[in-house]
Amino acid sequence: MHSALWISKTGLSAQDKQLTTISNNLSNAATVGFKRDRAVFEDLLYQIHRQPGAQSSESTELPSGLQLGTGVKVAGTQKQFTEGSLQITDQALDVAINGRGFFEVLMPDGSAAYTRNGQFHLSADGQIVNVNGMLLQPAITVPDNMNSLTIGKDGVVTAVAAGTSQPQQLGNIQVHDFINPAGLQAIGANVFQATASSGTAQTTTPGTEGVGSLEQGTLENSNVDVVEELVNMITTQRAYEMNSKVISTADQMLQYVSQNL
Amino acid sequence: MDKALFTAMSGAKQTMQAQTVHAHNLANVSTTGFQRDFVTAQSRYVHADYAQPSRAMALTTTPATDFSQGALQQTGRDLDVAVEGEGFIAVIAKDGTEAYTRAGNLRVDSLGQLTTGNGLPVLGNGAPIAIPPAEKVEIGADGTISIRALGQGPDALASVDRIKLVRANADELQKRTDGLLQAKDGNPLDPDANSRVVSGYLETSNVNAVEAMTEVLSLSRQFELQIKFLHKVDQNTEAATRLLSVS
Repeated sequence: MHSALWISKTGLSAQDKQLTTISNNLSNAATVGFKRDRAVFEDLLYQIHRQPGAQSSESTELPSGLQLGTGVKVAGTQKQFTEGSLQITDQALDVAINGRGFFEVLMPDGSAAYTRNGQFHLSADGQIVNVNGMLLQPAITVPDNMNSLTIGKDGVVTAVAAGTSQPQQLGNIQVHDFINPAGLQAIGANVFQATASSGTAQTTTPGTEGVGSLEQGTLENSNVDVVEELVNMITTQRAYEMNSKVISTADQMLQYVSQNL
Repeated sequence: MDKALFTAMSGAKQTMQAQTVHAHNLANVSTTGFQRDFVTAQSRYVHADYAQPSRAMALTTTPATDFSQGALQQTGRDLDVAVEGEGFIAVIAKDGTEAYTRAGNLRVDSLGQLTTGNGLPVLGNGAPIAIPPAEKVEIGADGTISIRALGQGPDALASVDRIKLVRANADELQKRTDGLLQAKDGNPLDPDANSRVVSGYLETSNVNAVEAMTEVLSLSRQFELQIKFLHKVDQNTEAATRLLSVS
């Protein structure tokens, strides 16, 4: 059959995956701490039908051969860990990391997960948890008669007990960094898990060793650029249309053969 | 049987192969750093003492790759680089040999090695580039990589390595079966001190979608012409058979 059919089919499915990526980015344009994905395209292997430089006779050689490519594939998606803009919310338990790094939370199965979404809450036991109830690690418990909770730039959490004026230290929030953050596995709910590709987490005090400092009362917006995504959507749609046009053209060619011969 | 049938068939078959090349180009219209293949048809005369000298078969070839630059697309990512002009980034292909690419969506893997988007190590000054844990990685215009190591101030930038950039004329390079480029003689090219990269940009595919589309459509009409010819030859043969039939 006509191999242009299969090649254009790879074009269609790659553009389709690209559109999926774009729509996921766009739907998370307002998700706190979201990092956008980018689809990485790669050309598929080439088949040599006629070897360039092969001897066409004892003294002459073919000046050019015939190499036919076989299409395109999405080699993977790449998370873009550029920072989103910071937004002031004035909520005591909203924390943003101004720079590199992640918060560590405890998954229900006991494993560690990492997030840049700093919308924390208190659980019924006074522990600091994220919006899905996963415990912030290391666990920090806020006793119930505490006022004016303060989170310092270096992660020190202090509060003032009712009736006293002396701040009391409750614990430290730590920040975890990865050598290759793009290798983290996104598992939804704004959290990531370490993989062999990301390397292991290096735990540090915020503001030191190159990781970001903490900003209380601030949240990090999604780093999705809506205009850019819309432009990507336009090019994706047109590329899709053109690939499908090649399929219909190849189909017409074959149809012409079967009708006329 | 009239041999015109085979001449027309060779045209139709080669048209389909040319169509395949354009379909491949069009499928890669959004592949970073992709360079389109040219396709041309040649005529090959088939001479035999008894035959007419009119028998010329079509032969489709992909003589070269178009190395013109695609558009630069701003991404703002530090490790995205676009090569200006006719330069290429040297990488180590999966078979261990040195190859060249213009796809500059680089990343740092878990071992600290600088690789391309599909995981091929990028060559530096003689060896693959390793980047120590860094807060910020900058790639300069000549491919020099400087980093601000973890915990260091902005005044303590350290130069790590320099991406091997090469320059070659279009006729010295050929596309490998994995889509990377290599010198026709198979030897590694010398680094070129004058090649420039821009950080924060990616080079889009240099496929012109309208042109590829037009080629596909024009080839499809050409194909119909050849099929029509096959049909005519068939009709001629049929007429001859009818005339000469006994009944």
